[in-house]
Amino acid sequence: MRSSPIVALVAILVVAAGAHPAMAAAPKAAPKVDKPVAGGMKLKPGAEGKVCMDCHSGQFDAVLKRPVLHTPVKARNCVACHNPHTSEHGKLLADKPSKTCAKCHDVVPKDAKSTHRPVVDKGCLACHDAHASANRAVLTKPAGELCAECHKAESERAAKAKFRHKPLETAGCTACHDPHASTKSEQLLKNAVPALCVGCHKTDRPVFAQKHMNYPVAKSDCTSCHDPHGSNQRGILYDRAHAPVAKQMCNQCHEAAGSKNALRVRQTGVALCRGCHNDKVNQIMDKARVHQPILEEGACLNCHTPHGSRKSGLLRGDAVSACGKCHADTIKRQQLSVTKHDPVRDGSCATCHDPHSSNSALMFVDNDTTKMCGPCHSGGNHSAHPMGDKIVDPRNRNLRLQCLSCHRAHGTEFKHMMPYATGPDLCTKCHTKYSR
Amino acid sequence: MTVPRSIQWAALAAVALTVPAVASAQKTSFTHVASIFADAKEGPLRKPEGVACTEDGEVVVADTGNGRLLRYQYRQGVVSGGSEVKLAQLTHPLLVEFDPKGNVLALDAKTRRIVKVDPKDAFVETVDIKGAPSPAATPVSFKVDGQGNLYVLDVASDRVLVADPSGKFTRQVTLPKGPGQFVDVGVDAAGVLYALDAVEASVWVASTKDSAFKPLTKRMKDRMNFPAHLTVRKGQLFLVDRNGNGVDIVGLDGTYQGRHLGIGWSDGSVNYPSQLCFDGQGVAFIADRFNNRVQAFSTVQ
Repeated sequence: MRSSPIVALVAILVVAAGAHPAMAAAPKAAPKVDKPVAGGMKLKPGAEGKVCMDCHSGQFDAVLKRPVLHTPVKARNCVACHNPHTSEHGKLLADKPSKTCAKCHDVVPKDAKSTHRPVVDKGCLACHDAHASANRAVLTKPAGELCAECHKAESERAAKAKFRHKPLETAGCTACHDPHASTKSEQLLKNAVPALCVGCHKTDRPVFAQKHMNYPVAKSDCTSCHDPHGSNQRGILYDRAHAPVAKQMCNQCHEAAGSKNALRVRQTGVALCRGCHNDKVNQIMDKARVHQPILEEGACLNCHTPHGSRKSGLLRGDAVSACGKCHADTIKRQQLSVTKHDPVRDGSCATCHDPHSSNSALMFVDNDTTKMCGPCHSGGNHSAHPMGDKIVDPRNRNLRLQCLSCHRAHGTEFKHMMPYATGPDLCTKCHTKYSR
Repeated sequence: MTVPRSIQWAALAAVALTVPAVASAQKTSFTHVASIFADAKEGPLRKPEGVACTEDGEVVVADTGNGRLLRYQYRQGVVSGGSEVKLAQLTHPLLVEFDPKGNVLALDAKTRRIVKVDPKDAFVETVDIKGAPSPAATPVSFKVDGQGNLYVLDVASDRVLVADPSGKFTRQVTLPKGPGQFVDVGVDAAGVLYALDAVEASVWVASTKDSAFKPLTKRMKDRMNFPAHLTVRKGQLFLVDRNGNGVDIVGLDGTYQGRHLGIGWSDGSVNYPSQLCFDGQGVAFIADRFNNRVQAFSTVQ
């Protein structure tokens, strides 16, 4: 699923709060105990759960004392989910777990724009107890606690924020997110932004216009400037807000608030950014190669946000996601690599590559790869092997032996980021007389 | 279900990583016949990124790392020449093309301008497409067809500009806006245009009457990593997979036809390859960038 951790967190909380009608107290068409139910059991009146409990009473007494009971349990309708005789599924379930729940709870619409991964991958029991619980919606834990199990970092960040978004405090994640799926938005949002936001924030109020410098932002993406869970900036602006945003100087980039096209930027592409970042732009353009996104229509905004971000440098995400948007193959290579290269794993692509421009191929920060590797790798393990500008690679007269002669920086399927399975496989490429 | 790591690697288009030469079922093959390591004075090539060929075996190399062009002749399996062309207007040659008059057109990485050099190695002009709609183009690649028409991939405006042999604007073809990144353009003998999206590993097509590109292939990310160069020849599209170190072949109908070459340092293998061209005999020349050489391969169909 595409949802961010935040969204997923919210989604889970929804369940916890019992806000989802299907999953909470009102399952669709709850089976009646006096009619044939799952598996066509024609039980005698009064024979339902009572018969089952004759044997299962010991283990179930405590369960039944929990404050929130799953509706079939409450009705002692065990055969709503279980086959009392035989089954091809664990715990004598009448069907596959997912199908068993889906008989009553259709929580993932076919046209969902986003779905919560646990719902798809693990099933309902990832968050719910099948029989009873101390929590609303038969959740296994209190909603906030449950969401935080997976969305720990986001949960902690929101809790520590100096300014918190009130709905998160009062209603939890499910105030904005559906814990199962959403047909209206990415990230399990109950509605798309800004429709979701304007449900509470009335855009026609004078204070709204005043806070937004009289710019017509009612239909803009609120989360472009505001961190929806909370931040340390007043107005829950992102912790890293673009200076003009933080200073409420929107007209530095946009046309005047009262103008016909107030939200239109004064210039496009690099030209707009150059107004403040002239030296940086000159520095970028002065090199032999400019990273292609900068040359494209979006220019700087292909990687940076214009308003605010949780990431330094106003990046649109961490380097793995920002760079990985185009270089997914490289990210995947690293993920699959047996040996991890720390800078790639940690998203420190800029350790070796200049994301803006370079005088070297592949945007290397230095033409000499040994110099790039040197700060982290002393080469102590290789002291016996000749390397350097004077050592010709036996495989290719135009190459000198250096780190990339034997390693691939983004990883391989073999140890030590070697391009071959074993040491001898690698070594005999040069030391051919030892080749078998 | 957990997919075994080995299978995941296999799925990664960089299968070529450990396979010097990947066999494939289609008819085209790549057999190494020669390597160009140096100029006429035995000065080594340094990270060459561009190579262009004529039907009769004239070869020009953009020796990018040395900031120069090099001219060679390839006749009957033998490479000769290696004369150097160094111009103040072309300090960072990246991609090269011949026009029908024997001029060399070269894209300079730093100025992002196309420079024309005559057959006697003299600077002719910086190519401007006369009458092209504003804004000014930001070319990242270009091609010249057999009639001398120029096709410029302008990424700043998401379009391919077309100019006639006199340099006059004739039309523009719009590229789709999307998550991908267009990196090269190609043209076949009928004038049909092809655009290569490296991020999505897909090819787009536009007929001579189209004003916008439309998809030719599906996303081919499962077959290749980052195809960065496109060459059209005799009913086939050759995609140079820069990060995956291979050449993928796609039919003009968009069908995938196979993959050749693999990473390595010895003759016959490539390391972050770049531009690809064919001479009249079907010999393919590849700028083998990180191996500091240009390699020639016989291709048999």
